Amino acid sequence: MELSLLSFVQIIIACLLIIGLMVGNAVIMVYIERKAAGFIQRRPGPYEVGPRGTIQAICDAMKLLGKQLFIPGNVDWALYFLAPVLAFLPVLVLFLPIPFGKYLTTLQVDDGILLILAFAGLGVISNILAGWASNNKYGLLGAARAVAQSVAYEIPMIMALLAVVFLTGSLNLTAIVERQGTWPWEWNIAYQPLACFIYFVSLVGETNRAPFDLPEAESELTAGFHTEYSGMGFALFFLSEYANMLLVSFVCATFFLGGYRGPILDGFWWTFIKAYAVMCVIVWLRWTFPRVRFDQLLNINWKWLLPLSILNLWVTAIIIKFID
Amino acid sequence: MDQVIDKIIDTLLAYIWSPLIALETMIADYLPGQDIAALIAYAVYVLIILAGGFLAIASRNLVRAMLGLVLTFLGVAGLYLLLACPFLAFMQILIYVGAVCVLIFFAIMLTRNTNEGEESKLPGIGSAIYGFFAFVLPLGILGPLIIINVPKLELKDYGQTDTKLLGEGLITNDVFSFELISIILLVAMAGAVFLAWRRRPTPDEAPK
Repeated sequence: MELSLLSFVQIIIACLLIIGLMVGNAVIMVYIERKAAGFIQRRPGPYEVGPRGTIQAICDAMKLLGKQLFIPGNVDWALYFLAPVLAFLPVLVLFLPIPFGKYLTTLQVDDGILLILAFAGLGVISNILAGWASNNKYGLLGAARAVAQSVAYEIPMIMALLAVVFLTGSLNLTAIVERQGTWPWEWNIAYQPLACFIYFVSLVGETNRAPFDLPEAESELTAGFHTEYSGMGFALFFLSEYANMLLVSFVCATFFLGGYRGPILDGFWWTFIKAYAVMCVIVWLRWTFPRVRFDQLLNINWKWLLPLSILNLWVTAIIIKFID
Repeated sequence: MDQVIDKIIDTLLAYIWSPLIALETMIADYLPGQDIAALIAYAVYVLIILAGGFLAIASRNLVRAMLGLVLTFLGVAGLYLLLACPFLAFMQILIYVGAVCVLIFFAIMLTRNTNEGEESKLPGIGSAIYGFFAFVLPLGILGPLIIINVPKLELKDYGQTDTKLLGEGLITNDVFSFELISIILLVAMAGAVFLAWRRRPTPDEAPK
């Protein structure tokens, strides 16, 4: 890392591009998600606005922008306004070490994955602050669930990523991609299928997506921690949820699916294809599985994912030791 | 054409840099031989830490106090970055902000939160005096020492963090303290489980 004006300008430009990517991603993913939901539930999905409903997401964004900011009575106003901002702020930092292409990384960080895991924790704090500050029982229950869930699912997630770090011997994301080959059977998913599975399940848990969307379970808690948010407050939560989904998909593509390397023509397009494939699987999962109960959610984590990830780590370490 | 572009870039750079250079010369007059950028970064982090500490003790509400704690932890992580140990900085955020603070929040929610606890009242005269001494004594002892030997601050290009070296150190030279900490954590965890354990009543002795 060079501390020069050039790298500074480079980071600014990259951050602007990342913001563009996040907003564009939210618009595209909303459309894909609603169309997929329609297809799975045998209904048309959005079809009124624009050809095949393509402009629907933009209209929704316009509606959110124009909505009045409604502040319920007796809220802790400082925390109430801080929470959505805090949900969105760390997302920019999270994208810094992602290698989109071989040289297309905002900032080469040697402990890249640690940076991502560290700042991802701030998202939980924003959720619990939102639930707490809105002075609403649904919000508070959602916050309590968010805490228990994210603390639980963080552990198998880190353990699964650690198994890949064992294989590579580096925490740098570019080094992890460079170690994997070009063909699918040379990717880490072939060496670490269990870790990939564990990571994928805990990724759904970490991003609060159905079937693990207990913090906002709309059939029981109205909207959970963001019940009291309307207009831009809700939009920021929504945007950060999709940005987090994009981030974990990129990390999944980097760690398990060979990142920017593909059978032909290595480049950033492979990263994007893989990340969006992961996103589509997440969407598919959401509309296929029913929501689990909260005790089931915690049991899946503590009784299955955690022991499995420890076992996986153990076996990986022993095999590496014997091969060396 | 290239010359024109060069000239434009030079002008732009001069435009961005000139206020900074003015600030730099101003500070350099007061503190000779210091890296200005490092000083500014240090000042920002220290201000974040102090603001967090103030928020933590001054809020009348436990959740706001916890937010102050989060701010302080972030500032300390910044100081680790300034010390050229990004590994420790990220670990600080991952463990203290991501886990410890979240668990503290959980503890706050498990207790009755009626805003009538100790923290909602102003402290009495006695605790104010104790607090004053707790603030002044370390300041009086450490402050002059720090002022006498101002360490040289500089922004380093940290290059490779040797995680491998860190791990080797933990299982060779410092293995004793490492194992001791593990045992303390294990004992704390087992103790918590033991205290919280309540045998589930069997159906025939269940309360009526």
